[in-house]
Amino acid sequence: MSDLRDSAITLDGVRKSFGRVEAVRGISLDVYESEFLTLLGPSGCGKTTTMRMIAGFEEPDEGQIYLRGRDVVGDPPNRRAVNMVFQHYALFPHMNVEDNVAYGLKLRKVAKEERKRLVGEMLEIVRLSGMQRRSPSQLSGGQQQRVALARALVNRPAALLLDEPLGALDVKLRKQMQLELKRIQNELGTTFVYVTHDQEEALSMSDRIAVMNDGLIEQLGTPREIYEHPVTPFVADFVGVLNALEIRVDEVGDLTATMRIGDGERVVVPVPTGATTGQTLMAAVRPERVRIRRAAEAATSGSGSAVQGTVALIVYLGTLTQFHVDTSLGARLVAHRLSDDSATAVREGDRVVLSWDEEDAAVLSDA
Amino acid sequence: MNVAVSKGGRRTLWGLFGFLVVFLYAPIVILIMFSVNDRTLVSFPWQGFTLRWYRTFMQNSALLLALRTSAMIATVTAIVTVALAIPASVLFVRRRFFGKPFVSALVLSPLVIPLVVFGIALLILFNTLAVPLSPWTVAVGHIVIALPFAVLTLVPRLERIPAYLEEASRDLGASAMTAFRSITLPLMTPAIVSSFLISFVISFDEVVIASFIAGDEPTFPLYLFSQLRLPSRLPQVIAVAVVVMLASGILVVASEVWRRIANHRLERQIALVEGEEAIA
Amino acid sequence: MGRGQGVLTATSTAVEAHERAHLSEEARRARRRARASTLGLASSPVGYLVLFFLVPVILVAMYSVGALTLLPKDEYLSLQPWRDLLFGSIYLGVFWRSVQMALIVSVGAVLLAYPIAYVLALVAGGRKYTLLLLIIAPFLTSYLLRVLALRVILQEEGVVNSFLRTIGALGADQSIGWLYNSRFAVYFVLIYVWIPFVALPIFVALDNLDLALLEASSDLGASRWRTFRSVTLPLSMPGVIGAFIFVFIPTIGEYITPLLVGGPDNFMFGNAIQGAFLAGFDWQFGSAMSMFLVLVVMALIAIFGRYLNVRTVSE
Repeated sequence: MSDLRDSAITLDGVRKSFGRVEAVRGISLDVYESEFLTLLGPSGCGKTTTMRMIAGFEEPDEGQIYLRGRDVVGDPPNRRAVNMVFQHYALFPHMNVEDNVAYGLKLRKVAKEERKRLVGEMLEIVRLSGMQRRSPSQLSGGQQQRVALARALVNRPAALLLDEPLGALDVKLRKQMQLELKRIQNELGTTFVYVTHDQEEALSMSDRIAVMNDGLIEQLGTPREIYEHPVTPFVADFVGVLNALEIRVDEVGDLTATMRIGDGERVVVPVPTGATTGQTLMAAVRPERVRIRRAAEAATSGSGSAVQGTVALIVYLGTLTQFHVDTSLGARLVAHRLSDDSATAVREGDRVVLSWDEEDAAVLSDA
Repeated sequence: MNVAVSKGGRRTLWGLFGFLVVFLYAPIVILIMFSVNDRTLVSFPWQGFTLRWYRTFMQNSALLLALRTSAMIATVTAIVTVALAIPASVLFVRRRFFGKPFVSALVLSPLVIPLVVFGIALLILFNTLAVPLSPWTVAVGHIVIALPFAVLTLVPRLERIPAYLEEASRDLGASAMTAFRSITLPLMTPAIVSSFLISFVISFDEVVIASFIAGDEPTFPLYLFSQLRLPSRLPQVIAVAVVVMLASGILVVASEVWRRIANHRLERQIALVEGEEAIA
Repeated sequence: MGRGQGVLTATSTAVEAHERAHLSEEARRARRRARASTLGLASSPVGYLVLFFLVPVILVAMYSVGALTLLPKDEYLSLQPWRDLLFGSIYLGVFWRSVQMALIVSVGAVLLAYPIAYVLALVAGGRKYTLLLLIIAPFLTSYLLRVLALRVILQEEGVVNSFLRTIGALGADQSIGWLYNSRFAVYFVLIYVWIPFVALPIFVALDNLDLALLEASSDLGASRWRTFRSVTLPLSMPGVIGAFIFVFIPTIGEYITPLLVGGPDNFMFGNAIQGAFLAGFDWQFGSAMSMFLVLVVMALIAIFGRYLNVRTVSE
């Protein structure tokens, strides 16, 4: 479909073994300029090794790696025009924020004044203006994350490699940073290669996803393709149970889009890249994020989404209870609740209201 | 309730502890006391305070020469030892390779070799190679015995510095050498200073190896040794002993305290960066 | 990796063959580069130690069997020095005396250091690291000067004897015989010198002890003494044995302390070796004694090496 687009990164038949363990068993992949591509898979699937080969920390045993058309196999990391955001951010503890961000510029002998200006600009983009003199240990996890981003992006890399960058943050902050990353990527137009094992994260952020398993790419496609048409049992299983709902945008707010269904019923989703009225979006929400209340007891006011429905089926799964609800949207949604939750008072056939917070919904991008 | 010790036991143990601390420090205190006793014999009775023994040793040119020789040897030893210990510690902490157990055994074995044997071995080596004995040959030997101490000081610090910091630096455009120099080396500084001082003190104090291979220029410990036969020299020997002991003690303790504080600080910084993972 | 061990083993040879045949030129170059940099790091320290540590010891071994000789009287390629040493020389007697003395010193040092370590690790609480430094500080100052200090205290005209004379407990020309130039003096000085060093590994062992174990034992109704004997002591034994060996090994070859406070009757094996070289010029026999001591040390390390936590030197 997009053979004509320029490739930022090309992998061609790349293999890598560590001793007797084959980590990557033959991967070919094009990452296009300005796209957000995610390598998704369980730990040990070879996604991090693939990324480290692109960065130059490992050399492939076989195969070629091209950055903007140039073969870089054999080049050390410092001679590759990609930059990486590490799992633990890897901020230099003996340098302040400014020196951390300026590190790459200094090595490229950028003049002092120019350096200061570029660092200031980049800190503004990651919303850390005025933090230049802070030491990394004085920053919160989210702020450290932003410094790591700024430190990599200030070098204007051909691609930014992110190795599970949000893994160390708590859930709430992770959600915030997902939106933030997407915003920054849009603003700068930098190619992002993102490694994660979190399918929700992958589905909500990526232009394309490469689902990896056992050293191979099982499926490469848009989040919607991956979610709706998994081509292997592994992909279907790994991407897992999500509630998917098609919504028509009635209202566009500040980075949100809303669909009104009537009588307090609505679906609100975050749209970091904006949306237009009348557009159709595919949204997803995890069953464990969905709250369930009997319609009589529920208040439909407040923020977030609320949808009415009838309980079709209740499945007890030990500590967890699964509620299958036919909703006024037409789709059947699933809610997971702890079995000792008060919601277990709900019976099959009851009218209920399902609700979830705005940030718990994700829009599947549809490239 | 403290399960390790009862109330009475606690008092007894503290008593014993106090006694042993006094036991450890008493000789040093006595040495200091008698270094200012105005008497030609280092013994009772007490005959009043004087600093003349300190003045005498300041005028003893042979003693000062020996001190200078030892300071020179110790400086050379410390510089070379640290220069060898840095790559050795990187090797142990950051590399996996065939023969690693052999290499670590080689680096650590000077800890257990009887110094008499090693002194003789060096004497034989220099004799075989027809190298004349001098302060330089002493430094050659001191480097060997200081090396394991220096390496063991550097290794724990290096282990606290995550390898990914250097990777981040490579990724941002630094060559391997620049990454080491600008990231790892500054973070290792407290341990490097410690290992320098420890090597210096080990060399400055060493007498067994020196006694075999010092040649005609005695080191400070050898000079002290030779003076022990002359009772009249004892008071000034004791005065200089006090000075050296206090200086080396203060130096090493200060660097130890600093190194520990720096280690805790680095651990806290790294933990702050990595810590939230444990919560998530 | 989610694969069975059997599968890995079965495919391993195939994988290796594959690796050899198919590694790209770049991959091979990268491996060579990594190997070269490791070699570069190893070269200076290993080279230095081979040249100035391993080679000299090998030379001693060669002298001991006459592969190298110093004087015309020395026999070329002969085990005579070893035979002399092992069968019927007085030096074997000196060796056994040294072993015996080293045993007493090691036991004495451990016995005195144990309560220090126990107090630091289990009683001192928050002050333990400060107090630990207080204990180790003397160890960090000059060994020779501390021996010298004790000599000044113990000798005939020394602090103790002169004090006793001043208060009239001793006559004007009298001194306590066993205080100086005696076996006691050697024990006393060596134990004094070693205590801080011995306290360290024991402290580490006790400090790493799981307090819950002690509590469990006392919950089960054990008295503190019983808890100590059946839980604390056995669990701290690796530290104790390590400390013991760390003192025992260098003490057998001790040289300075017997010379300074022991007198000729109490010379140890180190003094005998030194005498053979510097007084007797018998390099062959001296080398045999040296190698004998090295072999004993190696045997001790082979047996007890796993108790030696060299880390305690630095941490």
